[in-house]
Amino acid sequence: MAKREEKTLGIDADKPGKTVLLMGVEAIARGALEAGVGVATAYPGTPSSELIDRLSKVAKKFNMYVEWSINEKVALEIAGAASLSGVRAITAMKQNGLSVALDFLSGLTYTGINKGLVLMVGDDAGALSSSNEQDSRHIARMLDLPLLEPATYQEAKDMAKWAFELSEKFSTVCILRSTTRILHGRGNVTLGELPDTKHHPYFDTSKIYAPPMGRASTSHAALHKNLEEIRRFHDASPFNAYVGPDNPGLLVITSGTGWLYSMEALKILAAEKEAGILKLGTTWPLPRNLLRKYLVQANKILFVEEVDAFLEAGIRDFAADLVSGRTWRFFGKSTGHINPFGELNPHIVIRAIADLLDMTYRPRGSAYQKACDEIASRYVPPRDLQFCAGCPHRATYWSLKDALRLDGRDGVVTGDIGCYSMGQSPAGYSQMKTAHAMGSGVGLASGLGKLKQFGFRQPVLTVCGDSTFFHASIPALINSVHNESDFILLLLDNSGTAMTGFQPHPGIDRNAAGDPAPRVDAEKLCKALGVPVTIVDPYEVTQTRDAFLIILQGGKGPHVVICKRECALIRATKEGALFKVRVNPDKCLGEQCGCNRYCTRVFGCPGIRWDRDTKKAEIDEAVCNGCGVCVHVCPLSAIDREACP
Amino acid sequence: MELTACKELETKVIQENLCTLCGACTGMCPYFVAYKGRIVVRDTCTISRGRCHTFCPRLSVDFNDVHKAIFGTSYGWDGVGNVLEVYIARSSDKAIRSRGQYGGVVTALMSFALKGGFIDSAVLTRSQGDGLPEGALAATRKEMLLRAGSSYIAAPTIGAFNSAAQSGNKGKMGVVGTPCQVLALANMRAAPSDMQDNVKQLGLTIGLFCTWALSSEEFIRFLEKKAPLSAIKKVDIPPPPAHMFEIYTASGRISVPLDEIRRFIRPACTYCTDMTAEFADISVGAAEGIEGWNTVLVRSEKGAELLRKAKRKKVLEIDTMPAQNLEHLKEASLLKKKRGLKNIIQKTGNADDLLYLKADTKSVKEFLDG
Repeated sequence: MAKREEKTLGIDADKPGKTVLLMGVEAIARGALEAGVGVATAYPGTPSSELIDRLSKVAKKFNMYVEWSINEKVALEIAGAASLSGVRAITAMKQNGLSVALDFLSGLTYTGINKGLVLMVGDDAGALSSSNEQDSRHIARMLDLPLLEPATYQEAKDMAKWAFELSEKFSTVCILRSTTRILHGRGNVTLGELPDTKHHPYFDTSKIYAPPMGRASTSHAALHKNLEEIRRFHDASPFNAYVGPDNPGLLVITSGTGWLYSMEALKILAAEKEAGILKLGTTWPLPRNLLRKYLVQANKILFVEEVDAFLEAGIRDFAADLVSGRTWRFFGKSTGHINPFGELNPHIVIRAIADLLDMTYRPRGSAYQKACDEIASRYVPPRDLQFCAGCPHRATYWSLKDALRLDGRDGVVTGDIGCYSMGQSPAGYSQMKTAHAMGSGVGLASGLGKLKQFGFRQPVLTVCGDSTFFHASIPALINSVHNESDFILLLLDNSGTAMTGFQPHPGIDRNAAGDPAPRVDAEKLCKALGVPVTIVDPYEVTQTRDAFLIILQGGKGPHVVICKRECALIRATKEGALFKVRVNPDKCLGEQCGCNRYCTRVFGCPGIRWDRDTKKAEIDEAVCNGCGVCVHVCPLSAIDREACP
Repeated sequence: MELTACKELETKVIQENLCTLCGACTGMCPYFVAYKGRIVVRDTCTISRGRCHTFCPRLSVDFNDVHKAIFGTSYGWDGVGNVLEVYIARSSDKAIRSRGQYGGVVTALMSFALKGGFIDSAVLTRSQGDGLPEGALAATRKEMLLRAGSSYIAAPTIGAFNSAAQSGNKGKMGVVGTPCQVLALANMRAAPSDMQDNVKQLGLTIGLFCTWALSSEEFIRFLEKKAPLSAIKKVDIPPPPAHMFEIYTASGRISVPLDEIRRFIRPACTYCTDMTAEFADISVGAAEGIEGWNTVLVRSEKGAELLRKAKRKKVLEIDTMPAQNLEHLKEASLLKKKRGLKNIIQKTGNADDLLYLKADTKSVKEFLDG
């Protein structure tokens, strides 16, 4: 066999002109390297987490500083400090994270920056891994910031590099916005030069980066002026392109994922001669001169964009002031041609274009879909989201459910964002009743705990992961101490930011580069606040339940229970299973009265499966992570475990 | 849609305040547990007709069917149930008498049943001490003495019988229970054969006379204010007209007017029609006006045999019951039946709907009018 000549090239390959396969978010990381970025920061969040993950692996090679920050606001502040001191910096976050960073960002907009500062935001269109769907482009408009949207993997890299230049040229943060299919998809990227950047940070103390006291509105005016200059720059940007005939029967205006979907649609419909596509890469401020040039050539305009009708609203607004003699008809999300939420896909775009061009488009009918579903269901039954086998969160929720049912006062559990958000579903026995923002579970609990004066009698608990605790829960906990609120905070400490890929946080003894780092001890921190702390091992479900009950029925004031168990996946990869587990079929009662499939039907760990033929439970050895908790759950003591060496 | 057994018990018994905390639904599965005076449904079971459903004395009971299964005859509303013999009695053993209630007949009989090979262990209710009363297994006379005496607090004793049977406790068990607990055991005996696993081990049922039981959590908190729980040796409600709840501690007796206690009565007890544990082998209560003696109603052949042997071995001192006493007992029994039925009809608002009682409503109406 021929020996492969070279390994797959990564984002650090010094091979200008070479074409490599990169994820969109990797392409952005490469673009930042080509721009000579010095500092990169983020708090993890799908689909943005890979930027720091990839850069942290090459940080030493490029003499960069890369960190996982405590939250997105601090991440932007760390990057901002570099920019103000003359070092190019990038920070990454998801749409929810941008809300966290917004307070600092709105201030930074007014003061301006020094060296290029790029804010990459990954919008989770369709909210596949998010608590909400949110179009971050509105933030650029709200804060008068330039906005770029890559439509291809190549553009992701090129735009990232260019974003630094734009940022420096106009002394402003540049927002680089993309969505999941670009960020997490892979495509060909032709590499550029890697500069040999030497950073010489210096904070010029002759300058003041603060909005003028009492005259901030003058700065706002200056921002608008700056924006007009950026608009002219955008008009000439090579990231905007038109493909199609003059005077098209239909003008498609698109950005991001919509570009390739629209190209595909025209190709499938063989409508390249009838319709043209204007792809915008610079989506705020809108390149008005460019838009005018193409708008005046068409009567029918279709907007294809992902999440909100951002271009649609902005361009219709602009067109209202245009004198062209044309009677435009605009189509898109407002007319139902394009889905007003969720991800785009080629089918949606093809159907919209076919309708507007009076063409026939016959996708496979519903019978075909039905047949596919039927075949698929034979192999893949519909399943709820589940915690992994051996997940300590399942064990914690199990004990929590038991404690609350025994307590019988209809205790309320608030929560927030993390793997443990599944506590709202059957995976966590539907115990978690709220999820809004990182840390908001503690804030809500702090508020519920103050309703006693109105006769509120339900016990109040909140769940919060270890990463979330540091991210945004601490202020709410301090608030509850000072204002004497009464609730129990279950700190679900699984030693990592598990949901986004085990990134470290301040409670972990290593940093983004994998080097040893001081660990902030949550227990000591809580105790220093005067909050009593109890530590339990979630795998010991009975002891954990009893500890919950004692605290529920005894305590006053905030009480922290640290439910400490490393994520089963981290442990399994590092050390393997704790126990070898097996079901004794002679003791297993199965569906009969007295059990009724308690382990597989109620406890629900995917490591145990139900054998329909033998009517017994059995361990799925390929899935079981060997936590041994099911031994405590089985009412018949039919599950045995043996400690692994 | 048919409710699952679990949902039915939750909605029709627990939420309707009909649950007596007998414990018959517990000790068999992970779904029902007794906790601090409540039956808690930990998780949802999907079985439509489980043992919990069949054994519960407050979900659906046909006294006629159960009576036929236990005694071979139809149920009559008029009286104190099936009775073969009536006595007054007391234990010959002073140690038992001092610890037991009145004459200590229950402890003496159970202890004798154990010694005489009628049973291999007994399920009793641990009545005094720091915690709430709960069912407990006793395999020796000494263990039985520790559990002698009444607490008047509802306890999930049948759950202890179930878990002992489930967990492989060998041999026959004797159970001492209140009328609702005895009814649960009768339901088990009348159940289809595939539900008889536990009851196969039931060797003897001794029923206690009961007018009502107290709600555990709330009453324990009340009791704690009167005396430290660990110091309480015995509690008693002497027969009328005393109208007192007596608490005996090492330092003396504390009397609490009965009306102060009434608010702790389990609401479920107001819908009960059985004062004398009519489905037991032997029922035992206080002997009115004869201090230190018990009333003993022998209901089954098995009960009669036990009593005969106990008498022969001089375990009990036995005497005939004054005719007037029996009349009073019947009156009290009928009073409870009528009160229970009236409360049931008041709750349903319909004389044809007797909640958990599946009875010939015509005979019930006649009984109530008569």
